[in-house]
Amino acid sequence: MKKCKNYLFTVGGILLVALGLGLVKGISEPGELLSVLPYVLIGIGCGSFGYGMGELVSQRILKNDPELALQKEIEAGDERNIMLSGLAKARAYDLMTYVFGALMIAFALMKVEMSAVLLLVAAYLFVEGYSIYYRIKLEKEM
Amino acid sequence: MKNRLEEIRKSRGIKQEELARDLAVSRQTIGSLENGRYNPSIMLAFKIARYFNMLIEDVFIYEEGQNGEVQKHEEM
Repeated sequence: MKKCKNYLFTVGGILLVALGLGLVKGISEPGELLSVLPYVLIGIGCGSFGYGMGELVSQRILKNDPELALQKEIEAGDERNIMLSGLAKARAYDLMTYVFGALMIAFALMKVEMSAVLLLVAAYLFVEGYSIYYRIKLEKEM
Repeated sequence: MKNRLEEIRKSRGIKQEELARDLAVSRQTIGSLENGRYNPSIMLAFKIARYFNMLIEDVFIYEEGQNGEVQKHEEM
């Protein structure tokens, strides 16, 4: 199932890149939307191809080396690794709060378009709200 | 929290890698436990104690006020 999904990502990625390149070559007078679309397709296609191919190669290597596969599984489930990963993410989140704040002030001082500033404020509030939601959820669970 | 993991492991002639593999944790976790840099979860502490056929108290030594937890609690 996972292998099938990875093949889908790889083939889908190639198709999207091909479609994007085809649109770049094929459309002589693109409108505003069509001028951007091919590059968006190429970007998504490259990402999808890279992800799918990476997973397929990784699966093949692990299939031929059960020892490595076991080690990888242990590393992924290791409680210290999980704790370190969680702590690192928490630190990054704390820093992100300040970075977002600084960016909002910078945007306001630069007199950037109001819609862009509001979008950033909405993103900031969404992340903060998500944090509060999980805090409450976890408080109830533990 | 102190522990006697290194002492017990060495007395039984087990390598860090072997212990890590048997407990399904990384070798770095065993190293950190032995150095006292990391305190295990209660589950891992039980697994370690069971592995050596010992009680948790025989492997891990809890000393009150070691991390300032008791003092802080008392201050509150």
